[in-house]
Amino acid sequence: MTTAVKKRPGSFRLNMISRKTEAVFHLILGVFALACIIPFIFVIIISFSSEDSIRQIGYSFTPTAWSTAAYTQVFSLGDALWRSYFNSFFITIVGTVLSVTMCVLYAYPLFRKDYKLRGFFSFLSFFTMIFGGGLIPTYIICRNLLNLGNNYAALIVPMLVSPFNIIIMRTFFQTSVPFDLIEASTIDGSGEYTTLVRIILPIVKPGIATVALLTSLAYWNEWFLCLLYVTKRDLYPLQYLLMEMQRNAEFLARNSSMIGASGASAIAALPSQTMRMAVVVFIVLPIACAYPFFQRYVVAGLTIGSVKG
Amino acid sequence: MKKFLALILAAMMLLSLVPAMADSPVEITILLEGNNVTDDAAVLEKLNAYLNEKIGVTIVPTWGTWGNFDQTAQNAVNSGRYEYDILFTCSWTANEYAPYAKKDAYIRLDDPDDNLLEKYGAELKAVLPELLFEGAMTEGPDGEKGIYAVPGFKDFATMNTWDVNVTLLEKYGYTLEDVEKAGFYGWNDIFATVKAGEEKDGKVFYPFIFEGAVVERYVTGTPIITGDANGLLSYYMNTEDVSTPGAYGNVIFNKYATPEFEKFARQMREYYLAGYIDPAIAIGETATDTWRNAQNTANYLISSEVSLYGYEFTTSEQRGIQVAYVMTTDAPYIDNTSVQGAMMAISSNSEHPVEAMKFLNLLNTDPYVMTLMNYGVEGIHYNLNDAGEVEFTDARSTYSPWTNGLGNVTLLPPQKGQGADFQKRFAEFYGNSKKLPIYGFTFDSKPVEIEIAQIANIKEAYALSLCTGAVDVDEKLPEFLSKLEGAGMQKVVDEANAQLKAFLGE
Repeated sequence: MTTAVKKRPGSFRLNMISRKTEAVFHLILGVFALACIIPFIFVIIISFSSEDSIRQIGYSFTPTAWSTAAYTQVFSLGDALWRSYFNSFFITIVGTVLSVTMCVLYAYPLFRKDYKLRGFFSFLSFFTMIFGGGLIPTYIICRNLLNLGNNYAALIVPMLVSPFNIIIMRTFFQTSVPFDLIEASTIDGSGEYTTLVRIILPIVKPGIATVALLTSLAYWNEWFLCLLYVTKRDLYPLQYLLMEMQRNAEFLARNSSMIGASGASAIAALPSQTMRMAVVVFIVLPIACAYPFFQRYVVAGLTIGSVKG
Repeated sequence: MKKFLALILAAMMLLSLVPAMADSPVEITILLEGNNVTDDAAVLEKLNAYLNEKIGVTIVPTWGTWGNFDQTAQNAVNSGRYEYDILFTCSWTANEYAPYAKKDAYIRLDDPDDNLLEKYGAELKAVLPELLFEGAMTEGPDGEKGIYAVPGFKDFATMNTWDVNVTLLEKYGYTLEDVEKAGFYGWNDIFATVKAGEEKDGKVFYPFIFEGAVVERYVTGTPIITGDANGLLSYYMNTEDVSTPGAYGNVIFNKYATPEFEKFARQMREYYLAGYIDPAIAIGETATDTWRNAQNTANYLISSEVSLYGYEFTTSEQRGIQVAYVMTTDAPYIDNTSVQGAMMAISSNSEHPVEAMKFLNLLNTDPYVMTLMNYGVEGIHYNLNDAGEVEFTDARSTYSPWTNGLGNVTLLPPQKGQGADFQKRFAEFYGNSKKLPIYGFTFDSKPVEIEIAQIANIKEAYALSLCTGAVDVDEKLPEFLSKLEGAGMQKVVDEANAQLKAFLGE
C-alpha cells in the first residue's frame, strides 16, 4: 500500500519553501525559543546571585557577586524538601495514570458513531468547560460529599477528569482511527474490550502521550488544590512549598501596617528571594527532563496513522 | 458456632470500651494565623496532657500561615462544615471580624440566653481590660451588638512612629531632639548633611525610607477608619491629645482632597527631588522589601514603623545600631483596628462551644498554657536564664507561632533583654493609651461598594507615587482628584459621614 517517495537529504528541494522564507521562519522560531528559555536561565542566574547583589542592583544577568547560599538554604529544608519532592512525583504519576485512563475510557465511546448517548455525554463534559459552579460549591462537594481533605486523594481526584483533554482525545480518535477498522475487527470476532485494548490503543499512542503530557504538567504545577484542602505539611507538593513562601511574602507586604512591628520580624524570617528562585529550579528540572521523552510521541502523532497510503 | 461465640465475645469487649470512651477528652480544633510551625509534637504532648487534666480537652491546632490562612478560613466558614471549633479572626484578614460576625459565622459569646463568657470565661473577663471587650462589640446577624470573639491582650493601641537611626544621626552631630523638633516639614538640613556625608565614598545613600502606603497618616494625623479597606477616607485627630477631636471636629474627608494632604505631598516631592527618598519605595512590587531591607541593614536615617512598647530593644540589637521611635501622637491611640487586631472566635459550626470557651479562658489566664503554646517547651525550644528571661534555642525555628495571634501576651515571661518586670510595664504603658473620639465606629462600605470598587483602582494608580513624591504634585494631584470625583468619591464621603453621625447619635 505504501508508495512514499524516499527523499535523499540535500538533493531536490522538492515540496520545499524557498531558502529566504525558510530563513525568516527560522528567525521567528529562534526568537520564540529564546523567549522561552531566557526566563529560565534568568531564574538560574538569580538563584546563584548573592543576596547583597540583589539588594544593590536588583535582579541582573550579571550579578556583582555569586553565591550558592540559596541552595544551602534549600537543602537545609531537609525532610520537608524531599518529602514534598516525593509528594509531587507521587501525585503526578498516580494522577496522570488515573486521569489518562479515565480520559481514554470517556473519549472512546464519544467517538463511536454507533453509541446512542454520544451527544448527551459530549454535552455533559463540554458544558463544564464553559460553566463552573464556583469555588465554594466546588469546595462543599469535595469536602462534604467526597470527604477530600488532608489526604492524597484531595490532591488527585478534583483534577481527574478534564473535559479539554477528553475533547482532544476524541478528536484524535476521529482523525486516526477509521471506523472500518472497528467493523473489521468485529467481523473477525473481536469483542469490545479486545478491540479497544489490542487494536485501537496501539494506534492512538501518540494521542495518549499528548494527553499524558498535558495532564502530568497540570498535576506537577498544581498548588491551588493543596491550598484549598490540605493543611498537613506532610502532604505539601513542592509547588505549594514555593507558593506558600511567595504568598507569605505578599500577604505581609500588603498588611504590614496592620500587623505592625511583629510583621517586620515575620518578613525578616521569610526565605530569601534567591532561595525562592532556587526552589523554582528544583521544580522545573524534573519536568524539563521528562519533556523530550513525551515529545517523541507527540511528533510521531503528526506523522503516523493506521491507514497508510 | 465457634464464629458466633467469637462474635459475641468481640461485641462484649467493644461494649466494655464504651464507658472508657465517654471519659476521653473532647477534641478542640483551632485554625490559627501567621505561624511558622513544622514540628509541634513535643508541645502538644505536654499541652494536651495538661489540658486534659484541667478541663478535659485536647487541642488540634492547624497552624495557618500568612499565605494560606485567608483561603482556609473563608472555605471553613462559607462551606458551613464543622471543621474548626475556634477560628482566628481580626479586622484585616479575609474572615474579617465585623462582616463575618454579621454573617453568623461565629457564636455570640455574651448571648443573654446562653452567656458562655460569664459561665466559662469569668477569669478571662476579669483579666482582660474592659475596653477590649468594648472594641469587640459588633453587630450580629440579629442586628444587636454583642461580643463574637475573645480579643487578644497585646499591643492594642496604635503607635505610629518615626524610626530613627540614632547612631547615624549622632555621627553627624545631630540629636534625637533635633529630629523631633524639626518635624516632618523641617528635615531638609539633616537629610542634606547626612546624605552628603554618607555618599562621600561614592555609594548611593537614601536617608528617608518608609512605608509609602501609610506614611501620610503619620504626618497628617489620620487614623485608619475601620471598614475603609482601601485607605480613601481621613478623620483628623488631635495629635496633641488623641482623645479629643481634631480641628475639623468629627468629620470624615476624602483623604486626598484636603489642604493637609497637598502640603504633605509637596513636601515629599521636595525630598524626592533632592534625592533623599529611594525611588524603589514608590513602586508597589519593591516597596516593602526595600523599606524592610533598609531597616534591617541599618541603611537609613529616618524610617516609619507601627511600633510597640519596648520594640527599640529588639531592633537595636538586630540591626547593631541604636534605634529610637519618635511617636507622632501624644499617646498611643485606641481604635477598632488595633483592638480587633487579633481575636479568637468560636465557629457557629462548632460541636463543642462550651469546651472551646473553657480552653480560650485557660489560654488567656494560665501562664503555663500560654507560654507552652507560644514559646514551646522549656529545655527544647527555649531556656530560662538567671534573670528569668527567655532565651530561644535553635529548635525555635521549627516552632514559632505568631505570638500576637494567640491571646494574652502579658502572661508570657520576658525575653532576653526586656527585664523581669517587662509585662507589667507593657500592660501599664497600654493602660495609659487613649481612645479616639470615634472609637467603636466601623464604616460599612456595602451601600457604596460599586463606587469603591472603581475608586480603589484609581487610588492604586496614583496614591503610592504621590505619597512618596515620585510624581509632580501640580500635574498628578488634580488629575487624581478629578478622576476620584468622576468615580463617585463624594457619595462615599457623604455615606461615611452619615454613618458617623448616626454612630455618634447626633
